[in-house]
Amino acid sequence: MIDFARVQKELVECSKDAEGSGIKVSPKTDNLVLLIGTIPGPLGTPYEGGVFHIDITLPDGYPFEPPKMQFATKVWHPNISSQSGAICLDILKDQWSPALTLKTALLSVQALLSAPQPDDPQDAVVAQQYLKDYQTFVSTARYWTESFAKASSCGIEDKVQKLVEMGFPEAQVRSILEAVGGDENLALERLL
Amino acid sequence: MDDYATSDDDYHYSDQDDSVDGFDNDDQDIPLLSSKAPSTQVITKESLLAAQKEDLRRVMDMLSVREQHARTLLIYHRWDVEKLFQVYVDKGKAYLFAEAGVSVDESRESGSSVRSSVLCEICIEDVPSDEATKMDCGHCFCNGCWTEHFIVKINEGQSKRIRCMAHKCNSICDEAVVRTLLSRQHPDMAEKYERFLLESYIEDNKRVKWCPSTPHCGNAIRVEDDELCEVECSCGLQFCFSCLSEAHSPCSCLMWELWAKKCKDESETVNWITVHTKPCPKCHKPVEKNGGCNLVSCICGQAFCWLCGGATGREHTWSSIAGHSCGRYKEQEKTAERAKRDLYRYMHYHNRYKAHTDSFKLESKLKETIQGKIAISEEKDSTVRDYSWVNNGLSRLFRSRRVLSYSYAFAFYMFGDELFKDEMSEAQREIKQNLFEDQQQQLEANVEKLSKILEEPFETFSDDKVMEIRMQIINLSTIIDKLCHKMYECIENDLLGSLHLGIHSIAPYKSKGIERASELSVCWNNKVNNTGVTAELDRPSGSGSSEDNSGCSSRKRARKEGLGGGGGGSDGGFFDLNLPAEFVDRN
Repeated sequence: MIDFARVQKELVECSKDAEGSGIKVSPKTDNLVLLIGTIPGPLGTPYEGGVFHIDITLPDGYPFEPPKMQFATKVWHPNISSQSGAICLDILKDQWSPALTLKTALLSVQALLSAPQPDDPQDAVVAQQYLKDYQTFVSTARYWTESFAKASSCGIEDKVQKLVEMGFPEAQVRSILEAVGGDENLALERLL
Repeated sequence: MDDYATSDDDYHYSDQDDSVDGFDNDDQDIPLLSSKAPSTQVITKESLLAAQKEDLRRVMDMLSVREQHARTLLIYHRWDVEKLFQVYVDKGKAYLFAEAGVSVDESRESGSSVRSSVLCEICIEDVPSDEATKMDCGHCFCNGCWTEHFIVKINEGQSKRIRCMAHKCNSICDEAVVRTLLSRQHPDMAEKYERFLLESYIEDNKRVKWCPSTPHCGNAIRVEDDELCEVECSCGLQFCFSCLSEAHSPCSCLMWELWAKKCKDESETVNWITVHTKPCPKCHKPVEKNGGCNLVSCICGQAFCWLCGGATGREHTWSSIAGHSCGRYKEQEKTAERAKRDLYRYMHYHNRYKAHTDSFKLESKLKETIQGKIAISEEKDSTVRDYSWVNNGLSRLFRSRRVLSYSYAFAFYMFGDELFKDEMSEAQREIKQNLFEDQQQQLEANVEKLSKILEEPFETFSDDKVMEIRMQIINLSTIIDKLCHKMYECIENDLLGSLHLGIHSIAPYKSKGIERASELSVCWNNKVNNTGVTAELDRPSGSGSSEDNSGCSSRKRARKEGLGGGGGGSDGGFFDLNLPAEFVDRN
């Protein structure tokens, strides 16, 4: 049986310093089994500026069994499936300890974004790219952050739309936008 | 050629009683000389605890630790005491303990009693300090959380290594604490925990394995030194300790695995069908060509071209085959040749393997007949009183039949391309094959001779003639034993020993037959209760183990007085050869 008293306490604790850490956990429904975690992309990484949502499902044995977490936001990272959002992280599996919390687990996920472990990949394609062509990896990761993890500024589709309306061919617009990491002005310079 | 098997007459010393008796006694004694301490033992549910006691005690004495810590260390090192001591000597006690997750806490009494309540970091509640427990590693959580943790871990199958709940704490939880907390509300889980701990001795130990009997007899077998051996469980099942399939020497485990698979799926037959037949283009049944003409007709009436397999119509007549692509004929012929050759080779070995297996099955009936004959003979007013030589001869026959049949599976792989293609040159292979086949042939000849003599109606013979038969049987048995011995030696030293690929090794030959594991002798009842690992295992524990018991009782072999009893006898008595389980079952 899930220890709901503890989950409740965790939520309260987490909301206390949500300002400082930027990490939030909120119930998806009202039964506290499905939750949504939010982590900001770490500074100095291709994920900077993005806000990532993580679906959390609490198993019956929580906190004695690890929570199930997977990215709801698409992310380009060697240890996160680009298809499903599944996360490859030891503390979510055999290294889980009941002394860990949802917040500490999310902090670990955030740390994973800063420090990918391509030798133990979840997504082989991304891991290959990370090892063999780091530059492309960085720009793809940044492009994905731009495209999927930025709710506030206008999405990539809007930028494509805008540049296409300026008379550039769509395929070229898309590839250049990706190459420059979604920066609209840089892309325009290149196109000109 | 060998001095003792040059001709039929060499061992018919019918008129030299003295020499025969000497021969007889000497050779009967040889197998008994090797009967030192038993090297294999049966571990039953009852003796499981006693079986691990010795290992535990050694570790406890050496490191002066409590039993639970000894167990944790042993589980980590897979019950390899020597390896554990090696780590201790090489890297020291601290490393040994840390690696295995053993924390020995000297200052245990201080701690939780200081404050009246503690905050459990798991449920984030304040609990009275007497409802919280501090492990040896120093981490303290409430009893409720500990219990939940233990249950989850036990259900995950982690009983043997339940770590502390604190993050990154590698320490293994104290057995006594787990036991005490669980038994308060979850006695069933406590029982499960005990069983897993005890069974670790079998599961995590390369020297101990479960008997592979189905339904499971509940026993495990422990070998003392050589893990490469064949053994008989007290339930009667004989098996190869190393691969847990039937006893198969002189085949190596890999060879036997391949052979059993090959015989099972008859892949050669499938090969033959694909090579020698073509599917009818209409009914798709395989059609074999029985004449030279390439225009074939199926029993369904459809005519088709054998060369390309296409249905024939107007363009394809007896004089013209226009419209068919028949150019690839040569290539197919080549594969056909090879497949055919492989098949014939397989058939050669399989037929002989099968012949001996079948003979063995038929001869199993012989045992009954012979018992009848012995009974009749004993009624007679005869000077011959002892008929153990008949049973000995019979056991020798059964044993050598098995050796012979497996020797064909061995030869199939030893001299074939499948495993050792690049290991030896054509010439080398031929020499080795001749060497082996000579021995196999001699063995085979003598086995057949023994088989024939054993079928003689000796109960109708005069005393003189019975004595003559007795000598023949005794001599043949001795010769066969030696030949088996030599063949195993040849395989080990000259054939497998010279390979670069060192993965093939065979269980050693034992004159007395496959070793019957002895029951572990124990007097443990007194010890049990003060160890904490209670005698709960004695009770049927509900989860299938009680069924195991009943399942095996019907298979358990009732030891026949006539056969097994004389194992230690010195009057030229029994070889103590075991009969295979299936034979006994049939009786």
